[in-house]
Amino acid sequence: MSSGTFIEPADPAQAPAEQLHVAGNHPPSDAVLSVQDLNVSFNTENGLVHAVRGVDFHLMPGKTLGIVGESGSGKSVTSLAIMGLLPPTAEISGSVRLRGRELLGLSDKAMCAYRGNDIAMVFQDPLSSLTPVYTVGTQIIEALTIHNPGMSNQAKEARAVELLAMVGIPSPKNRLKAFPHEFSGGMRQRVMIAIAIANNPRVLIADEPTTALDVTIQAQVLEVLHTAQEETGAAVVMITHDLGVVAGIADDIMVMYAGKPVETGRVDDIYYNPRMPYTMGLLGAVPRVDVAEKSSLVPIDGIPPNLLHTPTGCSFAPRCPLVADACLTGEPPLLPAAGDTGHKAACIKSDELGTDVDALEIFSAPPVPVSRFDSIPRGERATVLELRDVRKHFPLTKGALLKRRIGTVKAVDGLSFDIREGECFSIVGESGSGKTTTLLEIMEFHADQDGEVVIGGISNNRAADAKTKAAMRREMQMVFQDPTGALDPRFTVYEVLAEPLQNAGMDKKAIRKRIMELMKLVGLQPDHVNRFPNQFSGGQRQRVGIARALAVNPKLVVLDEPVSALDVSVQAGVINLLDKLRAELGLSYLMVAHDLSVVRHISNRVAVMYLGKIVEIGEVDRVFDNPRHPYTRALLSAIPVPDPHFERTRERIILKGDLPSPLDAPKGCNFATRCPVFAALPAVKQEKCLTLEPPLEAVRPSPAAQALESQPASSADQKFACFFPDGELDEDMLVVHDTADPHAP
Amino acid sequence: MLRYLAKRGITYVFMIFLTTSAGYFLAVSSLKPALLEQERIPRPTPEQVANSMRLKGLDPELSPWERYVEWLTAIVTRWDWGRSPNGAFINAEFGDRVWISTRLFLASIILTLVIGVALGVYSAARQYKFQDRVITSYSYLAYIVPAPIAYFLVQLGAININETVGERIFFVTGISTPGMAPGWAQFVDMLAHYAVPTIAITLVGWGSYQIAQRQYLLDNVNADFVRTARAKGLTRNQAISRHALRVSFIPVAQSIAFTIPAIFAGGFFAEKIFAWPGVGSWSIDAISLQDVNAATATLAYGSVIFALGAILADFATTLVDPRVRVQ
Repeated sequence: MSSGTFIEPADPAQAPAEQLHVAGNHPPSDAVLSVQDLNVSFNTENGLVHAVRGVDFHLMPGKTLGIVGESGSGKSVTSLAIMGLLPPTAEISGSVRLRGRELLGLSDKAMCAYRGNDIAMVFQDPLSSLTPVYTVGTQIIEALTIHNPGMSNQAKEARAVELLAMVGIPSPKNRLKAFPHEFSGGMRQRVMIAIAIANNPRVLIADEPTTALDVTIQAQVLEVLHTAQEETGAAVVMITHDLGVVAGIADDIMVMYAGKPVETGRVDDIYYNPRMPYTMGLLGAVPRVDVAEKSSLVPIDGIPPNLLHTPTGCSFAPRCPLVADACLTGEPPLLPAAGDTGHKAACIKSDELGTDVDALEIFSAPPVPVSRFDSIPRGERATVLELRDVRKHFPLTKGALLKRRIGTVKAVDGLSFDIREGECFSIVGESGSGKTTTLLEIMEFHADQDGEVVIGGISNNRAADAKTKAAMRREMQMVFQDPTGALDPRFTVYEVLAEPLQNAGMDKKAIRKRIMELMKLVGLQPDHVNRFPNQFSGGQRQRVGIARALAVNPKLVVLDEPVSALDVSVQAGVINLLDKLRAELGLSYLMVAHDLSVVRHISNRVAVMYLGKIVEIGEVDRVFDNPRHPYTRALLSAIPVPDPHFERTRERIILKGDLPSPLDAPKGCNFATRCPVFAALPAVKQEKCLTLEPPLEAVRPSPAAQALESQPASSADQKFACFFPDGELDEDMLVVHDTADPHAP
Repeated sequence: MLRYLAKRGITYVFMIFLTTSAGYFLAVSSLKPALLEQERIPRPTPEQVANSMRLKGLDPELSPWERYVEWLTAIVTRWDWGRSPNGAFINAEFGDRVWISTRLFLASIILTLVIGVALGVYSAARQYKFQDRVITSYSYLAYIVPAPIAYFLVQLGAININETVGERIFFVTGISTPGMAPGWAQFVDMLAHYAVPTIAITLVGWGSYQIAQRQYLLDNVNADFVRTARAKGLTRNQAISRHALRVSFIPVAQSIAFTIPAIFAGGFFAEKIFAWPGVGSWSIDAISLQDVNAATATLAYGSVIFALGAILADFATTLVDPRVRVQ
């Protein structure tokens, strides 16, 4: 059972008796929340599903525990079981003690004394978690009323205003009367946090609190959570699938797999010295935004087990590259790993897995593929796609019968870029920046478009007849974000893949041959062609989607968030596949993604969009290592990195507010309203930002940098649109949590 | 708000004008009251018939367009909706009939709504339990059984009770016993006439509201915001009644608002079966009696009721849902 895993770093001079006590079944008396041997199962139509099997942890006051796992690993069920919010059909056993009082077995009514008072929760989707018909003030005050019936109305209102101010909502007094739909997603999540901390809880559970949000908003919300924890002194349980999010804020980590904790320990132990192959795989599966050196990602083959059947051996064994016969007999218990205090792993080989073991080697990650185009300079390669000053403006109208134009939404405003053979070009930006509209403009090319789209040398201006259009279409195919929605559930994989080929006029025999080829190409078994999409896992479905796109041998594949719907361990395999296909087939990619780590990993060039315009464009390593535009800098600093030391010491730029409505876009620089540089500029210079639109210009390196550069400065592939890239950043928007590393040895 | 009302009002007046005009043309070209007159004994001469029709403003020799212009002018200038072939004035007949329909349906529609919504909430809170299964099965049965048959069954039941007791407790048809002196006895007589149709219409009617309210509430019982409310410290039942109920009521409120004007419009079957001569039975009679003006008038009235319902539904939605705003 649990030991000092989650208590303070163990004292080396601890008496043996005390160590024994800690290692025993007794929770530390000062733990604010103790979970012991928690088991949850659901009776479903298919049988008993064991969603959680033996979760143990002890949470100390003011500490943060990160629970990491993929979907279906039981992390959310664990949190709901602690809160007593599972449906009554769930069978729960074990023990959950809040400051020594047992919570399991309490009636719904008895639980209400604790919920929202001593223990509070923030949920994943802020859009649906607030009641749409009540004002946020009413909903905050309700939380106060329940637990403080004697509080006066003025006191409650004052407290509500105080709470809204604490979570960073501007003009809180007026916003009390606003309804949830009048807030953006990030703002609603702040309100959720305000509700959760209303009664100064001792334990705050946050279940994927930022998964539904943009990275810049994620950084804001994590900051608010941090403030909330400081203000209330609550212990936090942070549930997430993103190893980056918890790296900087957690003290301890619990990795869950198939309903069971498979590795627990202090955050540094888990990240720098994982002792369980699954954790090693997870860490190796996420690309890092701060690393330029290209290596393949660690793919974890297979899918998580079905929890209908209790595993007889290690639940990870079917996917584990180190599997031995001993792994298949009996589930390995969570045992202390040798050499580390409080670090435990559920693996019989954990002692062999030390710091010097390379996950890439264990999981036999494929070598980095090399494309035949890599050696050819970019300028000499053929252009596959070119956009010249493409615009898409939507008129905003008012009135039902007689429409008046009251404004214009400039979704895409003068976009120009080109993609050469064999390269991957990515567009990044927050939601609402115009990424998807850009893709649609390219995919829906037509003659009377504003601007020019040149696909495979043919301009949209000449695409009047169906034949030219078909020729252009064949050059370019698309892979969609949600693989489940993109495949017709009533088509077998064979039919899915045959459709584009029949369209291209191929005969039956050739089609059959091509489909077998495609299946092998994307790493699927050719004899699975007669299966329906629902018989595949998410990752396999995305592979089918890729095969369909490749069927007609396009030059360019448009990837719309190709991996964002996939679990981390599956995502790595798909990214590696995309990388391999680009090299082997000489493909070009146009990718839209919100995950900048993925972008950095597979792209050659990148464009950063803000409110319909490109603010910075260039070679991916240049833009990411030396971002010039303040927005790029803010975006990059908001990406969490799965490296605790780095996360704890890095300086973050936290942008204020949300993406402004395109209607309120300022006359000069679009970004001025949120710009950290602008905020610190003297008024004279601010005037320039507000009145003039900065053009997209190539980087002019300083003489010193020029001396260092081996290449001539003119060939530097990086452009940005900012007047004052070297300006000071506004102090208020900079956040560093702690420069000193509390866990440093 | 007033601007919105004016805008919607104009749209609906225009639509009502269109439907009524189209209805008039259809009626005037297919209904031939002169033919019925010829079945009288002794049979009148065609000249006599045409003459009597002309006197009532139903000249069969005029073209449909001429008659339409005449009819419309009378309405616009004198608010005169014309006469029936038997000589009755539509305006006078109309007032009586609307009042009869209203009396027949007022109590039962209110009961239908209250019982339907209440049972919907009750059964949703006990999903798949015995009570829920009984109530919801009944609602589907009421849905399936044609209304006239259900009305007859209720009538039979009332007759049975009368026979068992051996005294006439319920009247299964009619509005009142003629010639009753005002007072207690008249009141009891009114109740005895009211009871059977009201019970019958209510029993048949509540099913749809029960099913709708149950469904909408169940959609919201497991909503994320209910979980948030529970996480604040409300019990499951408190969270449902304070948060889910209000949200689930939005679509129900809309359909209720739409139904309310129907109180004044009556219904064909109920009025026929219980022998209450209201607007509903009038519209059927008008067609069988080849009465052009009455048929058109009932059609126009139906359109007005529909428009009122639509406007009320919009208001009801704005009232219960802060996300919707009229402008």
